[in-house]
Amino acid sequence: MLKPKRRSVIKLAGSAAAVASTGMAGILASGRTPAYAQQKTVHWLRWVDFVPASDQLWRKELVPQAEKELGMKINIETVNGNDLQPRTTAAIQSGSGPDLIMAFNNTTYIYANSVVDLTDLAEDLSKREGGIFKYCRSFCSDGKIFMSMPWAVPGAMISYRKSWLEEAGATNGFPKTWQEYRTVGKKLKAAGHPIGQTLGHTFGDAPTFTYPYMWSWGGKEVEQDGKTVAINSKETIESVKFMTDFWKEAHDEGALAWDDTNNNRAFLSGTISATLNGASIYIEASRKPDTYQTEKGKPMKDDIQHSPLPAGPAGQFGMHLMQSTMLMKYSKNQDAAKQFLKWVHTEKNYEKWFLSQKGYSTPCTAKWEEHPLWKQDPVMAPFKVAARLGQAPGFAGLPNQKAAEALSKYIVTDMYAKAVQGMPAEESVKWAESELKKIYSA
Amino acid sequence: MAVTAVPGMVGGRQPLPWMRKLEDERWLAFTLLLPTAILLGLFIAYPFVEGIFLALSDARVGDPGHFVGLKNFAKLWDDSIFWTSVWNTFWYTAVTTVFKLALGLWLAMLLNRHFRGKAIVRAFILLPFIIPTVLSTFAWKWMFDPTFSVINWTLFNLGFIKARINWLGDPSLAMTSIIVVNIWRGVPFFAISLLAGLQTISPELNEAAAIDGARPWARFWLITWPLLLPVTMVVMLFSVIQTFADFQLVYVMTGGGPANATHLFATYAYQIGIGTGLLSQGAAVSLAMFPFLFLIVVIQLLYIRRVEVR
Amino acid sequence: MIEGAVWRKWVFYNIPLILFVFVLLFPFYWMIITSFRPDGELYRPWNAVNYQPFWTNKPTLEHFVYLFEETDFGQWMINTMFIAVTSTLISLFCGVLAGYALARLNFPFAGSLGTVIFVTYLVPQTLLFIPLAEIIRNFHLGDTPWSLILTYPTFLIPFCTWLMMGYFKAIPKELEECARIDGASRFKAMVYIIVPIAVPGILSAGIIAFTLSWNEFIYALVFLSSPEEKTVAVGVTSELIRGDVFFWGSLMAGALLGSVPVAIVYSFFVEHYVSGLTGSVKG
Repeated sequence: MLKPKRRSVIKLAGSAAAVASTGMAGILASGRTPAYAQQKTVHWLRWVDFVPASDQLWRKELVPQAEKELGMKINIETVNGNDLQPRTTAAIQSGSGPDLIMAFNNTTYIYANSVVDLTDLAEDLSKREGGIFKYCRSFCSDGKIFMSMPWAVPGAMISYRKSWLEEAGATNGFPKTWQEYRTVGKKLKAAGHPIGQTLGHTFGDAPTFTYPYMWSWGGKEVEQDGKTVAINSKETIESVKFMTDFWKEAHDEGALAWDDTNNNRAFLSGTISATLNGASIYIEASRKPDTYQTEKGKPMKDDIQHSPLPAGPAGQFGMHLMQSTMLMKYSKNQDAAKQFLKWVHTEKNYEKWFLSQKGYSTPCTAKWEEHPLWKQDPVMAPFKVAARLGQAPGFAGLPNQKAAEALSKYIVTDMYAKAVQGMPAEESVKWAESELKKIYSA
Repeated sequence: MAVTAVPGMVGGRQPLPWMRKLEDERWLAFTLLLPTAILLGLFIAYPFVEGIFLALSDARVGDPGHFVGLKNFAKLWDDSIFWTSVWNTFWYTAVTTVFKLALGLWLAMLLNRHFRGKAIVRAFILLPFIIPTVLSTFAWKWMFDPTFSVINWTLFNLGFIKARINWLGDPSLAMTSIIVVNIWRGVPFFAISLLAGLQTISPELNEAAAIDGARPWARFWLITWPLLLPVTMVVMLFSVIQTFADFQLVYVMTGGGPANATHLFATYAYQIGIGTGLLSQGAAVSLAMFPFLFLIVVIQLLYIRRVEVR
Repeated sequence: MIEGAVWRKWVFYNIPLILFVFVLLFPFYWMIITSFRPDGELYRPWNAVNYQPFWTNKPTLEHFVYLFEETDFGQWMINTMFIAVTSTLISLFCGVLAGYALARLNFPFAGSLGTVIFVTYLVPQTLLFIPLAEIIRNFHLGDTPWSLILTYPTFLIPFCTWLMMGYFKAIPKELEECARIDGASRFKAMVYIIVPIAVPGILSAGIIAFTLSWNEFIYALVFLSSPEEKTVAVGVTSELIRGDVFFWGSLMAGALLGSVPVAIVYSFFVEHYVSGLTGSVKG
């Protein structure tokens, strides 16, 4: 019981200093005094959107509209996706900060102690919109409470160059299995435009590839009990061995440490033929058709198509970035924040945002699959089912705190990265096993 | 800096009572140290103690946790990634410091003479040191990018390489690349500070030695280097501390990858503490840096003292 | 001082110097070119036929326009400048006083106090920023420049103090004693005699302190939230890196504009810094 005491001492000292130094307090207060003293303010922290138009939409249209309709002030703040976690942590530890914070994937479980249960809002949404997908539900709800409100899933699909894959023999659309993909990939690399895939420490493109890849071979981190580490299996070793050869034969070997941005640039510059990514490549290519062109001088956007990852012996899987909104316990405006959250999830308001994304993000409820947007552009159509087909890390257990730890330590990704760099498959799997055991036994 | 014109120093008004108190060395010292003590006490001492408590608990984000003693450190002892980052940090600090010193000294000697555009060169050479690290690191990242590397282009066209070099993708090269950027950033600081040191050495000493027939190399070792040593040590001390706790550079460049090959203390602490929310373990990693750093610094300080006494 | 033929001057001085300047400034050249390049050219791989690393035929200002029209870049510059200058001044003030006390006054525990101040410099930022966030909250400083102005001195003061201690030690004791025989108080002797002599030292400590605060990232990221309060480093990375799309041109333009004005200011100070120091030690 040492802690609270020390805290209160500092707090006392703080207020004393604030009273004593009216001079400084005066400076601090100037321009900051709540001009909206009677009005509630909701501070919403999100990532800077991949689609700039969506941020514009919030700032210029939706937020002012919400302010008017709800009679509150809304501060919308955007940061780089990588910087959400330090902000969240600092806010929770200091007990002050944004009222609503965007969470990625299962970071919700990391912050589970510090959020307000949103079951009523989420279940209401689920009822209205034909059910929240299991994938999204598993991130937002631990079975007892809703730690966050499902927002959307920017799907991860393979973006590929139609013409190049056809030249390499993939005449019936994108390869259906890893074996086929490898055969095609070999020819692609021989033709000078390999497959690009990162195995680096980056929150987006690396785990969204390595996890589903492992699952499709039958590998998994833990058993269903969420305790027994099960990664050291014949299936996982098989997958690592295949990956090692697949990498050498078909991949751009420079990609080992790419971050989420490198493959976009490599693809747009025409050096790689396929890569797992969000739709951002296609969106960028369509935004500037004159800038990004194929070697034949045609707009590159017309040569791009999307596909889910190929299937392995154990089936076909996908993992996507899942975004949800947490309402923080320390917030002094919980009611107002809830009100606002409800407002943005109203169909007519949410739709405006959804449209601005042009299919980049897949909503978490079944109803949106019917939306005409998905019929507008066949290239974006594969993203429609991203949220329905996803599987969460930590499989076959829950995507809980432990799974989140394994994810943020890049254990599965590093297992493949080590093997690709020359470590024998058995050894790299054993390494991953020992790291996972440290996490799951704690 | 003339000493003569000091207004109102002699005679004048009777000093105020509190001014008289300041005549006592202890009171004066106390007064002079007060602002520092307040700021550091408030913004370092308290958080530091808090940090130690954190490292001795099993706290995670939003959960104060309980006291668990040294359990977090015991865990680190068995953590291979931790030892990789320890080794990386030492290697990183040692290599960069040696190069920064050697190149910085060389550059300082080159700048320590008269030539046209001296002022401009001196100022612009400081650019790498001035620019926010995060941003310059992005520029380097672009130059190292396997697909777009201008360095590869240059080496290729000069005929040094046949295939591209995978700067950040190869584990040992990734470390080298990071080291290169750190050296690039640090050389200007060394050069300008050592230049300041060089200018305090009177040219007559060197001239006299030259007349006595000392070769340039001998003149450097016997005259310049010993006189420069105090400045050098101070500059090195600060550089070592900065480098040892470096975070931004690696965070932006590789995030500790590929396969943890470039993790340093700070980036690993960040990954555990912030990435996974295990604040206590993150704090333990940060804190584990302290004794190592402390040891290095004590050795350097003792050496400085010896140099100063001499 | 340089004896011998012209070629020696070139081999031993000019060529190495040119190489140094080239290597140190090349990344800036790269930034300049990148910030003027149209997007299409940015996406050419290094082995492409039309890869032109060192030049662009179609320079464009669109990245700069974007920077100023779509972001608060101007405001970020002002913020960063204000924060860096103020925290540097505070740190110099504290550092000069403390350095003087530790170097020139006799009082108990002077040595150990110096060590303690120095040790605070060793405490890693990654350990501090979360507890600090709590203090910032308690003082109601969150999202104001003061949250940084008051926390930056934590890593600036130890540094300034130590640097100033070094300078003060080098000044002969007799100077003060003379003044005191002439009737000046200790305080006045310090303010009017010793501190002016140490100005070059103060300048160099100031330069470094300013640079360190200009560079800081974590505190600025964690303590500030409104877009209009951010510093250059945080603002640029949080507005121009959108998920997996970098706005390279504007990013580099921001990096450049964020450093060149400072470099110009430095061009005045560097000469003072370097040549002034000579005078002080010769005293």
